[in-house]
Amino acid sequence: MTVDVLFTAAVVWLVVLMFVCGGLLIYGPRPGTRIVALDTLVLVLVALLVLYAAAEGRTFFLDAALMLSLLGFVATVAAARYYGDGGPFG
Amino acid sequence: MTVWEIAGEALVLLGLVVLTIGVLGMLRMPDVYGQAHAASKGGVVGLVLLLAATLTLGDWAMTARAVLIGAVLLVTMPVASHVVLRAAAARGEPMADPDTVDERPPDRRAARRPS
Repeated sequence: MTVDVLFTAAVVWLVVLMFVCGGLLIYGPRPGTRIVALDTLVLVLVALLVLYAAAEGRTFFLDAALMLSLLGFVATVAAARYYGDGGPFG
Repeated sequence: MTVWEIAGEALVLLGLVVLTIGVLGMLRMPDVYGQAHAASKGGVVGLVLLLAATLTLGDWAMTARAVLIGAVLLVTMPVASHVVLRAAAARGEPMADPDTVDERPPDRRAARRPS
């Protein structure tokens, strides 16, 4: 019972953190802040998947978390390269 | 309720607290450099604590994947933060402290105006 209460509260809290990151992603004053907010949004989503894996004992949530963290890294680097150098390889 | 279950719940709570500190720092810091500082450190440490909570289940398949995710995060997150801040410095995003000294040589300083 206590595990379920903790799990539900943690999921709700992580969704609140995701909305905060999304608000910063939309209303961030400069592009650097927006890229950082996008990176943190992916990180909180990975944390949500890890929490599901820990609560339900399923392994495949961690597979999805691994792929999402790698994709988030590539997306952040690509966005930063476009912002700073005008292209991914420039 | 065993010791491992209590340890897992404590690790989940601790990870959530550290993640919250990271996101809060991203809201409160005055410039991009402080925001990336707070978000990357708080995010990585909070996520590693959540991964440690999955280790307390004692499942080998889950332990291997959790260790792999932790290693990937510890390698990629500083690189991502550095690339973002390098781009922000190249585009001339201002620092909040007016006394900051730009130590780059004059030909390497931000040529373009911040967008």
